[in-house]
Amino acid sequence: MADIPDAIVLKRDRDLEGRQHDIWVRRALLGLVVAVPVIALFNVFGQRPDTHTLVGPAASMKIYAPARLRGGLLYEGRFHITARQDIKDAYLVLGPGWAEGMSINTIEPSPVSEASNSGRLSFELGHIGAGKSYILFMQFQVNPTNVALGRKQTVWLNDGDERLLTFSRDITVFP
Amino acid sequence: MDITLRAVVLFLFMYLLTRVIGRRELSSLQPFDLILLIVLGDTIQQGLTQDDYSVTGAVIAVGTIAGLQVLTSWGAFRFPWLRRVLDGHPIVLVEDGNVIEKNLRRERLTIDDLTEQARANQVTSLEDVQWAIFEPSGSISFIPKQ
Repeated sequence: MADIPDAIVLKRDRDLEGRQHDIWVRRALLGLVVAVPVIALFNVFGQRPDTHTLVGPAASMKIYAPARLRGGLLYEGRFHITARQDIKDAYLVLGPGWAEGMSINTIEPSPVSEASNSGRLSFELGHIGAGKSYILFMQFQVNPTNVALGRKQTVWLNDGDERLLTFSRDITVFP
Repeated sequence: MDITLRAVVLFLFMYLLTRVIGRRELSSLQPFDLILLIVLGDTIQQGLTQDDYSVTGAVIAVGTIAGLQVLTSWGAFRFPWLRRVLDGHPIVLVEDGNVIEKNLRRERLTIDDLTEQARANQVTSLEDVQWAIFEPSGSISFIPKQ
């Protein structure tokens, strides 16, 4: 047999003795790497908005916003209110979870007034006649350093001081 | 702190990636691979520093990656078992002019890949090769018959 190059061990490097399982370890790790984007297709890591519909005797409201986000992501929160009865002075109140670690870029149409309601964001929308709709668009961006697991996002729809609808959900912000 | 953690996670992920995709992909730098590398770098950068445009941020990120690179190479130098994990071992592809098909398949190499590399090393026929060894770096060493 010709000289074997230095540091080459035939049993190990030619016959692959003791290395039979290496290829399966590599394949398993590669499977893990590939699994991440595949899982992402099912909205596990977010971005795709969810729609929640609330119905009450005085109004219904559709909330359209993603519950899973990632740092730096731009997204929209859409609040579609339909009055089933006359709402004299509608207020959309958002819990602090909507603003924590988020930049609020735009609110359209601009509310009549904005205020703090015990630490919540209170937007006065004004009068919504029976059968009429009001859609509030809010554009957000997740601050890059924002990370959250199970953070509450609550929405209240009030007519003056009277509570018409309440909605709450948990959001996840991936780093 | 955030950038350091991001850099550590991304470094480990990139290291894992280079180990699991196989040497074949690493050894052949076709034009598409070059574009892919640039895209990869750009994608990683966004997750690493995000909206931080500061010199401080860049120094933290680069310092973390450089430190981890030195740490892994020191670890591979110091501990043979770690070297096996991080770098792997060479694989013999040709012995005495005979191609070891099993080892080629394992690394997803074809005879065409092997002969192409042989030509690039001024070897006209694999029958003239005593040893062809697929190195951990992804290159193939050809040792001609005496």
